[in-house]
Amino acid sequence: MDKILKDKKAIFIFIAPALIMFVLILVIPIFQMVYYSLCDYAALTPPEFIGLANYKKLFFKDSTFRIALKNSIFFMLFSAVTQQVIGILLAVFLTNIPKGRNVFKNIYYLPSVLSSAALGLLWAFMFNPKIGINQLLAQFGIKGPLWLMDSKGFIVLPMWVIAFVALWQYVGQNMMLYMAQITGISKDIYEASYVDGASKPAAFRYITLPLIRPMMVTSLSLNCIGSLKFFDLVYNMTQGGPNHRTEVLATELYAEGFNYFKYGYASAISVVLLVMCLIVTLLVKKVIKVETYES
Amino acid sequence: MKESTVMKKRRKTVSPVIVVIYVFLVLLAVLYLAPLLWMLSVSLKDNAGVMAAPFALPEVFHWENYSQAWSLGKLGVALVNSTLVCGVTLLISLFFGAMAAFAIARMRWKLAEAAHTFFLIGMMVPVHCILIPLFVRFAKLGLTNSRFGLMLPYITFSLPMTIFLLTGFFKSMPGELIEAAAIDGCGIYRIFFRIALPLCRTGLFVSGLMTFVGNWNELLLAMVFISDPAKKTLPVTLTYFVGPYATNYVQMFAAIIIAIAPTVIVYCLFSNQIVEGLTTGAVKG
Repeated sequence: MDKILKDKKAIFIFIAPALIMFVLILVIPIFQMVYYSLCDYAALTPPEFIGLANYKKLFFKDSTFRIALKNSIFFMLFSAVTQQVIGILLAVFLTNIPKGRNVFKNIYYLPSVLSSAALGLLWAFMFNPKIGINQLLAQFGIKGPLWLMDSKGFIVLPMWVIAFVALWQYVGQNMMLYMAQITGISKDIYEASYVDGASKPAAFRYITLPLIRPMMVTSLSLNCIGSLKFFDLVYNMTQGGPNHRTEVLATELYAEGFNYFKYGYASAISVVLLVMCLIVTLLVKKVIKVETYES
Repeated sequence: MKESTVMKKRRKTVSPVIVVIYVFLVLLAVLYLAPLLWMLSVSLKDNAGVMAAPFALPEVFHWENYSQAWSLGKLGVALVNSTLVCGVTLLISLFFGAMAAFAIARMRWKLAEAAHTFFLIGMMVPVHCILIPLFVRFAKLGLTNSRFGLMLPYITFSLPMTIFLLTGFFKSMPGELIEAAAIDGCGIYRIFFRIALPLCRTGLFVSGLMTFVGNWNELLLAMVFISDPAKKTLPVTLTYFVGPYATNYVQMFAAIIIAIAPTVIVYCLFSNQIVEGLTTGAVKG
């Protein structure tokens, strides 16, 4: 028995295909990317080592990159807060209503499985000043703003619009994860607390919230990474415009790499993106763990 | 006795709250369904009708929008490409992922936990990060502009999620079955193919659907790697409608509906399995 499960050759055969693909297509390219980021590398000339020049340019000279960085961080914070709060709220609502749980659940989750490229087109159309929401507002005598064209403010209006569309599309995922966790909590705990005179909000605060904390790590990390690497909606709704004001890291990387063919420079952006993803994941793990120890 | 009075009291005091919650949930459901239904309505109008009254229902159903979008956007070809790329990716990533997950969850070796962590770190890496090195390498190998070349990163980036979900499923599997088979002289490969895999059907189904949906919707890699119109996938084809056909709204919407129809159908058929499997896998893992 033990011998069969300790068979080294079999273990190797089982692990090898996945491991080889991982190393060839993920690990090696990451190291290459780090190297390219230290090079002056346009598509047609071979890479030439220039040290940290790309990073200096990124952080000190490139105003578009700063906008992209700002937008990505805004987008991550906005998504993390709204999607977690609304996700938990919806999960609590749906686990507490007597009927219709599945119907609502399926409706809210539906956009998560649809192509955000397609939904981006739909919403771009919806916020088109001539056709969509503004026409509806005009019937009530309200003059709607230029949803996707406005370029005033620290975080421009189009960025808020995109963030809300992303919230609409992806909040279902968080709801789903939390629902799973909440339905896993034993009913007896709740019944016992009600017998002891606890109110529903109190039960939520002292039973539900602490017990869904493990899921918060998963949900929040997926949430943050997902919003840092966000591309599809922005690309199909504004293409980074007007005047680069809605550029995010991913669209900026795409533009530098595949419109201007600055491979070295675009690699530096990828490194920044990767580092941010790793930091955020570690931070989420750490912060939520600390809280668990405290309580 | 005491318990039942408590329950009664609670039900009475809580019911207005429940009503408010229902009103909120229904309004939210409208917010979710209205844009999708509106899209359907627009796709059946003509352009003049859309400009005049975008929110009115179509007076005449212009089904020809669909056939025009189909031929103009080369949606037929794109549909075949998407199905091919996602189908092959699905099979290979499930197979490789299941093997690795089985070794991690069930076999006994020192590095099992380390291997698990290693694959999970892959979930943290955005696909954008390998875009340029991979593109450069693939261009040299002649793998750009090839559907096979697109499958390779798709498979790799599907593996972490697959391994994550399947490890959860394999771990929750009763160990006695594997032990009994081993005592009966069953080899490890037969155990895997004849016992572990069939028992893990739900897990395979769920991670398969996740993989399929994720890759079906993937835009960036497909856009970078494929430039030949005959090999483009659906999301890339849709971006056509942003540019040259941007004013032809009705066809754009018909194209969007054609593109999302397969996922909507799959979702309607299997939504409960997707949801259940996804959640059991995620909670256990």
